[in-house]
Amino acid sequence: MEQTDNQLIDAALAGSVSAWEMLVRRHEHRVYNLGLRLLHNPDDALDLVQDVFLGVYRNLYRFRGESQFSTWLFRIVHNKAVDLIRRRQTGPELENWFEEDIPEPVHDLPGPLEACLESEMNEKISQFLLRLPPAQRLIVELKVFQAMTFEEIAPLQDIPVNTAKTRFYTALKNLKIMMEAQS
Amino acid sequence: MSCPNTPELIADYCDPMVSAESLQRHRLHLEGCPSCQQELGRLRPVPARLLRWQNLAMPDWDRSSMIRPVPNRKSIPSRVRTIPLLARWLPLAASVVLTIAVLTQTRLEVNEQGWAVSFGASSKLDVQQLDAYLAAYSRAQEADTREWVQSALKTHGETTADSVYQWMMYMEQQRELDVKRMEAGFEQLLDRDFQTVDSVRQLASYVMYQVAP
Ligand SMILES: [Zn+2]
Repeated sequence: MEQTDNQLIDAALAGSVSAWEMLVRRHEHRVYNLGLRLLHNPDDALDLVQDVFLGVYRNLYRFRGESQFSTWLFRIVHNKAVDLIRRRQTGPELENWFEEDIPEPVHDLPGPLEACLESEMNEKISQFLLRLPPAQRLIVELKVFQAMTFEEIAPLQDIPVNTAKTRFYTALKNLKIMMEAQS
Repeated sequence: MSCPNTPELIADYCDPMVSAESLQRHRLHLEGCPSCQQELGRLRPVPARLLRWQNLAMPDWDRSSMIRPVPNRKSIPSRVRTIPLLARWLPLAASVVLTIAVLTQTRLEVNEQGWAVSFGASSKLDVQQLDAYLAAYSRAQEADTREWVQSALKTHGETTADSVYQWMMYMEQQRELDVKRMEAGFEQLLDRDFQTVDSVRQLASYVMYQVAP
């Protein structure tokens, strides 16, 4: 029978390396693909995975199983992703962190998603996301790709639920404008 | 033209966990609001388009690197053993000497030939005797520590980062305790004459000198 996350965590806390590796293998691809979308670079995505699971290991004894492991995991993922996005950003872009509009005029965008090859799909999607201010990029990631509720997302971004909904709506509008500019 | 309900309505329509009550409220609103109808029709396909993302496989990486922070595991115990043990033994040895000094009213006599310790008025302890005593004390301490290390390793299993950390914490606590004991010894001595205080200081520095190399 397959072990639950909580069983693997107990075993890892008791010193089992194989239980720890099994737990990591179970969740790493979600974190990695999130990294590819948010950071737009395989090396940075791998850095994120390593950062995240280092943080998970260091705090594993604090996880008491009162929430889903994946919910707890994504709290760490969110914080590490914010750190990495901040570190990778330089100059005036930092000021656009919470800006509700697209920070730069739309040009040289990838073609319409409908027309592109499978192999180009990821590149185009992450290009779109990359043009969103980071706070909007994160909320789209958590809502659309991680299927989190606004009640779960709001505390991560330290904002009220209604602000999270408004920010998500603004992000969709911005994405729509970018998608329309190509078709 | 724009409607204040739009952001919440759009967000809730993209939330699979939204409550039936909220959805019903939005439906009623939509019937009478062309602005929201238009926005919903325009934005609803956006998340679906993003979900065309093709998940990529994770490249191989060292998944347990965080469990083994130091590549050469054998180097952990030896390094940890040397430094804190010396730090632990020095104040302990000094505090034992101090205790003996306080309890027996020891006097230290220093002259050109060396020095001798006297207990009360009569008995005398020479350098060789003191050396022997300190050596025995040192052996007892080492055995004590070995025993502790063995039981620690048994309890914590392999030399994981955790057990080394707990080990360090234990050593640090021991050291603090020893320093406190030594301070208490000095305080007791302050009630006695200066000759004794001076003697004990010399004794303490002798202990340090003997152990340091
Ligand atoms: Zn409306």
